[in-house]
Amino acid sequence: MIDFSSPKHRSKFGYMLLAPAVILMALIIIYPILLSVDISLQDVRIARVGGTQAPWTTKNYDWLINSEEFWNSIWVTARMVFFVGGTSLVIGLATALLVNQKFKGRALARLFVALPWAVPEVVATVIWAWMLDSSFGVINWLLLKAGFISEAIQFGSNATAAFFAVCFVMIWKGYPLVSIMLLAGLQSIPAEQYQAAKVDGASVWQRFFYVTLPNLAPVIGVTMVMTTLWVFRDFSIIYVLTQGGPIGATTTLSMLTFEQAFSFFRMGQGAAVGVVTMIICAIISRALVGRFAKSVH
Amino acid sequence: MKKRSLLGNFALYGTVTAVCVVLLFPIYWMFLTALSPRTQLRSYPPNFWPRDPQWNVFSDLLAAQPFGLWMWNTIMVATATMILSLTIGVLAAYALSRHRLRGGQPLGLFILTSKMLPATLLVIPLFAIFKSLGLVGSLWSVVIAQATLIVPFATWMLKGYFDTIPAELEQAALVDGCSPLGALFRIVLPVASPGLAATALYAFVISWSDFLYARTFLATSESKWTLNVGIATLKGEFVTDWNTIMAASLMAAVPIIGVYLFLERYLVGGLSAGAEK
Repeated sequence: MIDFSSPKHRSKFGYMLLAPAVILMALIIIYPILLSVDISLQDVRIARVGGTQAPWTTKNYDWLINSEEFWNSIWVTARMVFFVGGTSLVIGLATALLVNQKFKGRALARLFVALPWAVPEVVATVIWAWMLDSSFGVINWLLLKAGFISEAIQFGSNATAAFFAVCFVMIWKGYPLVSIMLLAGLQSIPAEQYQAAKVDGASVWQRFFYVTLPNLAPVIGVTMVMTTLWVFRDFSIIYVLTQGGPIGATTTLSMLTFEQAFSFFRMGQGAAVGVVTMIICAIISRALVGRFAKSVH
Repeated sequence: MKKRSLLGNFALYGTVTAVCVVLLFPIYWMFLTALSPRTQLRSYPPNFWPRDPQWNVFSDLLAAQPFGLWMWNTIMVATATMILSLTIGVLAAYALSRHRLRGGQPLGLFILTSKMLPATLLVIPLFAIFKSLGLVGSLWSVVIAQATLIVPFATWMLKGYFDTIPAELEQAALVDGCSPLGALFRIVLPVASPGLAATALYAFVISWSDFLYARTFLATSESKWTLNVGIATLKGEFVTDWNTIMAASLMAAVPIIGVYLFLERYLVGGLSAGAEK
């Protein structure tokens, strides 16, 4: 029996504690990633472990480069990231500033403002699907009543409407995270900076632009990267609301990966799209990882 | 600090109320629809107040749909995932926090990036693996697949908590003849219990909300479905029965909302785990 409390063996004890996690991750993350690269280089419909001994082929990547669907999904993803990210930031910042005010019942307001965070994505999606229903939905009723539209919007079959429907759900699910993170950021701004600005005669807006925003910038950056990655990877909202339709109007990269692999059973092509998505996500998340590595040293 | 005027106060409370009403309207609408009699749903203008609440919708749901079973499956999966990730996460996080290990930092980076993997990619090789192991259609497939996200997550969150506990605490115990593992279980974990609870609940919430893995691995065996798969399927049916769906959704959302109300003050630490450290 090794005595783990002796300094000589202390690091051995550390490695022992780490072993289960390392083994598990190797089995369920690293091996599957390697396998998915392998699958993306095979001409397979339904992938099996060790199914084919055929040499690798770039067929799936050739398909990808030449397929309209792939470029369409990149365009859809980019627009979605832009619109969802931008709107979530505005709503998140506005709500964070609001509940950062001093008033009675502030704790309760903070709970409420971020409550959509706690609604599971599938549930959030079906609520919105019902609210956006073309014949009995409350949103069409309100818009008709207010005179903004003359006939009900068909969120299911109109490509533009479907795109925005997905965006609405994503914004509703996504802004609470922005709000929570920015509120934490606001609370860490030293009060002296505001007092100094006040003494110098800065207006409310000047204080916002010269004190609040510069202090908040790093948190905004991190939050936007997180929101972007989330939109990139999201599956549930799009699948439940539109299944990527109509005619690809809401098919993001993530949706295309799933569609190829499990709706059309072309797992080779699905894996190829997935590998490209993973590389894009890795590039985006470098922004986060870079910060992490810096703060460690 | 200057006192706000009466008008200013009024404006502030008015804004807060208006914002909450608009942002939380979908949750209210779910509640209202679930309790409305079926015939009222297709009425114009819609009712904005429950006139005739049908409380029996929940008991009807449990009786008619295999809904109770789906709920049970969801609880089983979430509990198993929580236990698995917490056990492995505690050991790894403690090692990363206390021991200067060679390879510790790359591992930390790996944990961080693995949270950013697109799940729709991972699901393809996992499907191939589970197929060859005969796990497709078993709840375990979902537990294992969810662990790809939740184990790194729990490890990272717990490491943050362990970092805040002074190492002198266990060193004192070690000097008194306690074994290193004993020091972890008897000294560190009790002190870290709020962090453990927050991480456990967090893992539970993530697992409860999963749709992709359950949809992919359990699709063909209806008795193994989780709540989310059931709700999504009800929505996809030709004639959509909105008040059943909303009642089911409400029952799926309430446990998570409850956890959220309890967790809120730990939320920032969890959401930004790894992002801001």
